[in-house]
Amino acid sequence: MKALTRLLAVSATALVLATPALAAELRVTIWTGNEAHLKMLNGFAESFKATRPDVTVKFETIPPGDYTQKLTFQLAGGNAPDLGWLMEDAAPTFAAANVLEDLAPTLNSTKDYDFADFSAPAMGLWQSGGKVWGVPFSTSPFVIFFNKDMFDKAGLEDPLALAAKGQWDMKTFQDAAKKLTAANGKFGFEFKDGQGYDTRIMHALMPPIRAYGGDVWANKQCGFDSPQSVAAVKQLHEMVFKDKSIVPPGEKGDYFSGNAAMTINQISRASLMPQAGFKWGIAPLPTGPGGESPVIGQAGIVVFAAGKQKKLAADFVAHMSTKAAVATASQFFPPARKSVLASDAFITSNNLIPPAQMKVVADAIAKGKVLPAHEKSPQILAAMKPRVDALWRADANVESALKAVCGAIQPLL
Amino acid sequence: MAEQATNPIARDKSTPWLSLKMREAMEAWLFLGPTLAGFLIFFAGPLVAVVGYSLTEWNLLSQQSTYVGLKNYAHALGNNPDFWHVARNSAIFALGLVPANMALALALALALSRPFPGVIFFRTVFFAPVVTSAAAWAIVWKFLLQGEAGFVNQMLAYVGIDGPNWLREPDWAMVAVILTRVIKMVGLNMILYIAALQAIPRDYEAAARLEGANSWQIFTGITWPLLGPTTLVIMVITTIGSFKVFDHIYLMTAGGPENGTLVLAFYIYEQGFKFFDIGYASALAMIMFVIVMALTLVQLALRRRDT
Repeated sequence: MKALTRLLAVSATALVLATPALAAELRVTIWTGNEAHLKMLNGFAESFKATRPDVTVKFETIPPGDYTQKLTFQLAGGNAPDLGWLMEDAAPTFAAANVLEDLAPTLNSTKDYDFADFSAPAMGLWQSGGKVWGVPFSTSPFVIFFNKDMFDKAGLEDPLALAAKGQWDMKTFQDAAKKLTAANGKFGFEFKDGQGYDTRIMHALMPPIRAYGGDVWANKQCGFDSPQSVAAVKQLHEMVFKDKSIVPPGEKGDYFSGNAAMTINQISRASLMPQAGFKWGIAPLPTGPGGESPVIGQAGIVVFAAGKQKKLAADFVAHMSTKAAVATASQFFPPARKSVLASDAFITSNNLIPPAQMKVVADAIAKGKVLPAHEKSPQILAAMKPRVDALWRADANVESALKAVCGAIQPLL
Repeated sequence: MAEQATNPIARDKSTPWLSLKMREAMEAWLFLGPTLAGFLIFFAGPLVAVVGYSLTEWNLLSQQSTYVGLKNYAHALGNNPDFWHVARNSAIFALGLVPANMALALALALALSRPFPGVIFFRTVFFAPVVTSAAAWAIVWKFLLQGEAGFVNQMLAYVGIDGPNWLREPDWAMVAVILTRVIKMVGLNMILYIAALQAIPRDYEAAARLEGANSWQIFTGITWPLLGPTTLVIMVITTIGSFKVFDHIYLMTAGGPENGTLVLAFYIYEQGFKFFDIGYASALAMIMFVIVMALTLVQLALRRRDT
């Protein structure tokens, strides 16, 4: 009887001690609310549970517009998620603030992980001094979305055909936009999500500047006022105010509802196309004097140093970024793993985009450069904004406006 | 009982250790307690905390905080062109909004304070924007104020006026945010004025008319002076509101273009919630508090002098 009592007591104690482990829950912040994305992510959670039955994973969606801000409040308020997505422009800020956990020990010790499979340029933002702050889950190049019907109506070859012949450059882009505007009575081109003058300044300026061989900044030196950048922005300015072929500041265009013939965006926006009601396609960004210069937007998955289950969270990051997982995710999020990028599985992964056009995406990832980021990105963007506003006036002096941009951001670089 | 009601030191049989006075005081404290607790936790506490934060350099993200004394205040009030630009914008916004709002509210109240067929309809029309969501209001106006394709500019073109690109030119953007804010908020002040006008006894006007006064003389000699206390209240709350304006600016221009509508409250938001520089943002909030408090005291003093 005594033995039985002891056994019961020990069992009860063990049960109590084991309860927290049984209830382990990883909280992951993300910014997608898309059902297909969530289904895939929950699939990763299920397969993780198969190897770790004690763990459940909960995905928590925060809208992208407020994501970095709300995440910061969660970290500052002592309510840190275990892991989460992070946008490229926030990565250096978070790394510099020491709020990210080094993932290198876990990734290097995970069996068959093959960390070297991640392309070095794609990892540029996410590692420093042998430490790995995050694993990019989306390395998505910017491409031109075009309205094939409008090109046909204007009697023009579409950008994909022109690119195949090596004729899709900044000059052709300007001519096409002008002719499309005249033929269709709609704008020839719209900046990303119609936000090129506000929240998407970098997405508006960066591609043409790189096509002309310039850069917005590099090695702590502002490049907005370089001759290449000035030439690139002068072309955009001419297209907006002289040709009137780009949706101007203060107006609405919207490519996705058929009110502009071209736009620049990432392939995740292809999900809007089935409802668009017109023939469409994607093409590479136009080349320029600087040659081919694809621009890539990135997002990574990170573990927060303030989280309570850092090792477990790092294990889940490894689980979500194995070759098999990255191949699965590549239908929505272009991969940073070289093996997946080179596979036919990726080229045929997207049921909205034909393989020939997915090849454009794969090429751009292989050759592209990630958008610039900086630990003071929010301050730099805020300092740029009023000077860039001054640029978007019909009578603006582009060169002096860009000099003013450099004057404002150089001290922050 | 009669003894208890008249004698403050009388004691109740059930609580002989308490005098009536003490018992009443205790009851008062119990009733006041919840409100007082709310005041201390949600107003006084944060206010004191902001004073403390404003003396630190505190990065919200890294959670590193260092005491820096008055450095944040010196940074704002010293040779900082951003702060003075923002202060100037706030002053322009207030100087544009407060008189326009009050004049329009008074004009509407004078027109709508007396009953006539349809008066309720007109009062409702002018009050409706007050209860409309700020987000919906801003989005609709942003749409109406687009460049060439905007409804407002198309109407202006109809009468031969070439309208500006309202929200993309700094000066016009300020005009646009002031006007749309006036239209949004004027209904509230109109209602306050209507209530005050209806409280003025009709006999005063009747007597003045018997004495041969015309409408203008009645307004300047009777109505306007009697509206004094209401005017003061309206002026104080409208001025405070104009300095605190945030949602309207955030949704319509986000402080742009060229920082032309970057007002103090929005600047504080940027420093605190975009750059996570809580120390500097707190110092700016204290400066705003002092400005608004000073303006309110000046208005109260002027009112006292007038009476």
